[in-house]
Amino acid sequence: MNPVEQTRAGLAAFLAKEWDAAVEVESLSVASAGARRRNVLFDALRGGERVPLVATIIPSAAVQIMPIELEASHLRFAEAAGMPAPHVHAVCDDASWLGGPFFLTARVAGETIPRQILRLVEADASLGPRLARQCGDALAKLHAADPAGAHPRITRPAGDPIEATLRAVEALVRGLLQPSPAFTLALRALERMRPPPPARLAVVHGDFRNGNLIVGADGLRAALDWEICHIGDPMEDLGWLCQRMWRFRNDALEVGGFGARADLAAGYEAAGGRFDAARFRWWKAMGTLRWGLGLAGQAKAHLDGSVPSIVMAASGRRVAELEWDVLMLLRRSFA
Amino acid sequence: MQDRPTASELLQAVADLLEGELLAATKGGLQHQVRVAGNLCRILEREARQGADADAREVEALAEALGEAPAGRDALSLSHALVARLDAGGDAALEKRAWPALVGIVRGKLAIAKPGHDAWDFTAELD
Repeated sequence: MNPVEQTRAGLAAFLAKEWDAAVEVESLSVASAGARRRNVLFDALRGGERVPLVATIIPSAAVQIMPIELEASHLRFAEAAGMPAPHVHAVCDDASWLGGPFFLTARVAGETIPRQILRLVEADASLGPRLARQCGDALAKLHAADPAGAHPRITRPAGDPIEATLRAVEALVRGLLQPSPAFTLALRALERMRPPPPARLAVVHGDFRNGNLIVGADGLRAALDWEICHIGDPMEDLGWLCQRMWRFRNDALEVGGFGARADLAAGYEAAGGRFDAARFRWWKAMGTLRWGLGLAGQAKAHLDGSVPSIVMAASGRRVAELEWDVLMLLRRSFA
Repeated sequence: MQDRPTASELLQAVADLLEGELLAATKGGLQHQVRVAGNLCRILEREARQGADADAREVEALAEALGEAPAGRDALSLSHALVARLDAGGDAALEKRAWPALVGIVRGKLAIAKPGHDAWDFTAELD
């Protein structure tokens, strides 16, 4: 049996046991096959019913950063909070079915590719503002939920998340293969401008951006990729969403290249959140610096042989983009 | 001196091959890698033409920010020196000199790595 047939047979056998019914698996396609996870789309047929599903499989060879049930618990937490997130149907840490632990979620119809999303927005002038507002609404609902209800092993800062982030970023700046005076200068400014600890901590998605959203003609349908969900400052999510890197050349539209900050903030506040502009700006610049360091880290992973890849190598030549962005975002600190 | 084609001309030829026939003959993840490789050839082609000038300007800008003479220095050692001085902290005048110097240096890098990226300067979103 080839690997795709093995996956099909494994899914059918698992679901037959899980649902205690005869199950057939159809329309199976591998959506992404990274080093850390594989996403497989398929339909499960139970009697006359067709259930569109996604299997997220962690290859056994990959070091499992967190137990499979942790990421699934974030999805369940978000759904219970009223945020659009794919419903979790099953979680399984037995590697014998699919060659690694996995969870199954509802397959939500819509676009995930950023440029396709921006095309939808171009075709319908009302969609961009609505989508920005829905992003604010979704994040406010996630952030309003009591973090005590999150999984006990969710990542959380030892103390103030601002301080923890500054120290983590400082270590990354020091660990660069090649000195970056621009990132060092940015870090100095961020130290100086640091906001006080947040009034309250929340469960934050951590990677809520154009590229991890499912969007239809009606707007936001689901937020994907809950891998780095953690406890932190709610404004972190809003700042990250508004980084230039996720605008895909639509630079003038701060929210993912599709919307204005005012719409995001209005949606956030209408759902009970408090949009803090100074804190938002700090997290936006911090996110920009972090992404620049992330790109430098990808180049390093290529060069040290841990992840040899032309794509990772190319990331090194994108670092200057983030140096530019963060120098511009922080320029008032040096006026 | 190497014979023609120059490095720049050869890199253009490789980029044309990658972005033309090879891109059309591949799909999925490999196609993405071919596209990335083609773009890297474009970057290297610009670097072959502009890299030496950009490096020289970088050395001058770093030395000026540090208040040192550029003679005999290279960009790497000057960058280390500037990072050390910035890390020491408490020198607002240095930070003010460093900012425009670094903006100029990054512009020079972007002219090679991503022309046009510096067209957006975030003025509309600083408040």
